[in-house]
Amino acid sequence: MNAIEVTDLRKSYGDREAIRGVSFTVAAGEVFCLLGPNGAGKTTTTEILEGYRSRNAGSVSVLGLHPAERPRELREHVGIVLQSCGLQEDLTVTELLMMYRRYHLRERDVDELIELVELGEKSSARARELSGGQRRRLDLALALVGDPDLVFLDEPTTGFDPAARRQAWTTIRSLCQLGKTVFLTTHFMDEAQTLADRVAVMRDGAIVAEGRPEEIGGRDLRPTEIRFVLPPERSAADLPELPGAEVTSEGDRVLVRTREAVAATARITAWALEQRASSAASRLRSRRLRTSTSR
Amino acid sequence: MSTGTHPDTWSLRRDLRLAGWQILYEQRAFWRNRARAFFSFLMPVMFLVIFATIYHGQTIRGPHGAISYDAFFVPGILAYGIIATTFTNMAMSTSILREQGVLKRMAGTPLPGSAYVAGRIGSTLLITTEMTVVVLVIGRVAYGVTVRGATLPGLLAALVIGSASFTARGVGIVRYIKNAEATPAVINFAILPLTFISGVWFHSNLSTGITDIAKVFPIRPLAHALQYAFNPFTSGSGIEANDLETLAIWLVVGVFMMARFLRRPAGD
Repeated sequence: MNAIEVTDLRKSYGDREAIRGVSFTVAAGEVFCLLGPNGAGKTTTTEILEGYRSRNAGSVSVLGLHPAERPRELREHVGIVLQSCGLQEDLTVTELLMMYRRYHLRERDVDELIELVELGEKSSARARELSGGQRRRLDLALALVGDPDLVFLDEPTTGFDPAARRQAWTTIRSLCQLGKTVFLTTHFMDEAQTLADRVAVMRDGAIVAEGRPEEIGGRDLRPTEIRFVLPPERSAADLPELPGAEVTSEGDRVLVRTREAVAATARITAWALEQRASSAASRLRSRRLRTSTSR
Repeated sequence: MSTGTHPDTWSLRRDLRLAGWQILYEQRAFWRNRARAFFSFLMPVMFLVIFATIYHGQTIRGPHGAISYDAFFVPGILAYGIIATTFTNMAMSTSILREQGVLKRMAGTPLPGSAYVAGRIGSTLLITTEMTVVVLVIGRVAYGVTVRGATLPGLLAALVIGSASFTARGVGIVRYIKNAEATPAVINFAILPLTFISGVWFHSNLSTGITDIAKVFPIRPLAHALQYAFNPFTSGSGIEANDLETLAIWLVVGVFMMARFLRRPAGD
C-alpha cells in the first residue's frame, strides 16, 4: 500500500496559484524528498498532506485517509515536524515528551527517544533554555513519541551548522531503519541525495523532475571547473589532451570545464610536474556540483 | 523499539482523563514561571490595598442603612480579579500560544481540541479559585469583610457562572483578534471603560442611562451580584437573579464564540 497518494493537487491563494497540478506517490517505508527553492510550494503541499491547509482541487490520501477531515486516526499514526513551531516553554524536555506521549494510543519510550536525538544532558532543561539545534531535535523527538508510521519533516535542518546537519541526518537515517515512511522537504541538494530513496524536484508549484537521487543529481550535474595559471613560456596549446573537456585561456590563465574532473586534474598535474613548474605557481580550484534548483 | 500498545482506545472517559492531565501540565507550567504567577496574583491584591487605603472607614448609605465601604470594594476587586484571571489571562495566553504555533502543534496530535481547551480552562479556573481565596482571606483578616452563611449561595453562584462566562469569551475572542500584539489593546478596550461605569472601583450614583448601558454588559452584573452577596443587609440566599441571568446569556454567547474558535484553533 502507498503511504501517500496525491493526484493533480491544486491550491490557490487569491489569484496566485501556489500548487499547479502536482501528482506523486510515496510507498510505505520509503524516504521521499520534495526538493526545491523557497516559495516552490513545498510547505503548502506538506501542510495539505498534514491536514493544516485545504486544497482547491485534486485528490489526496495519507495512510488511506483524507487529511482534510483531520481524522483522529491519522493524527495517531503521523508524526509532524513543522518548519517552526512553539512549545510549552516552561516545561522540561522530559516533561514535554511525557505530556505529548500521553495523547497517543501507541507510545515510544521517552528515555530511548531522548537518547536517539542526543538530548540526554538537556533532559531536565526547560524548552526555553534550549539552543536552536536542540529545539529542532526535540521537535523530532516529539513527532516520534506516538511511534508514528509516517513522519513529515519540513526542512528539518534549515539553519543548522554543518556538524549539526550531519548529526540530524544520522538521526533521520535511523528512522528509515525502523521502517518508517518519511516525507521530507529541503532546499539542499546534498540533503536529498544523502537521505532520500526518491526525490521530486519542485519549482513554481509544479514537479519538474522525479526519480532516484542519483538520477536527479545526474541530470543536474554541471561540469566541474578547473582554473590554473600556466607555467612561464607555456601556452594553452601545450597542454596534454583532455578528452571531453572544454579548454579556454586568457593570457596565462586557463579554465578547463570537464565532467571527468579527477582524470583531467591528474593529467594537468602530471604535465605541470613534467614542465618542472613549481606547484606554487599552479592553482587548482574546483567547484562543487550545484543543483539547478538552488539558483 | 515501541513499548507496546495502550490497553484502551478512544473514549469519552479517556478524553476526560486527558483533559485532567492537561490541567496538571498547565498548572505546572503556570507556577514554574514565577514572575507571571506572582504578578497575576499581586494585581488584585495591590488594588485591594490601594482602595482600602483610600476608602477605609467610609460608609455608603443604602436603602436599608449604611454599610462600610470595605464591604463594597472587596467584592468589586474580586470581580476585577476574576475578569483578570479568566478573560484577560485566557485571551492573552491563547493568542500568544497561537502566534507561537503551539496550537498548531497541538492540532497535529491526537489530543482532541476540546480536551486541550478544557484542560486550559480547568487550569484557569483553579487559578481563579486560588485568587478568590486569597482576596477573601485578606478581605476578612485585614478589613473584617465577611460573607454571611445565608448569602453564601449567592456568592458561589456568581463566582461559578461569572468565571465560566468570562473564560469562554476569553478563549472565543481570540478568533476575532488577528495577532497577539493587538490582544492587550483589544482586551483593555473591552474591559477598562466598562469597569468604570460598572461600579467595580467606586460606588457612584451615575446617571441611570449609563447604568442601563453597563447592565447590558457582563461586568456590572458580576460586580453587582458579588456586592449583593457581601451586603450585610441582603436578605435571603444572596442570589441576584437578574445579574445571574445576564451573566448566563453572556455565557451562551461565550460558548458559541469558543465553539467557532475551536473549529480552527491554529488559525487559517
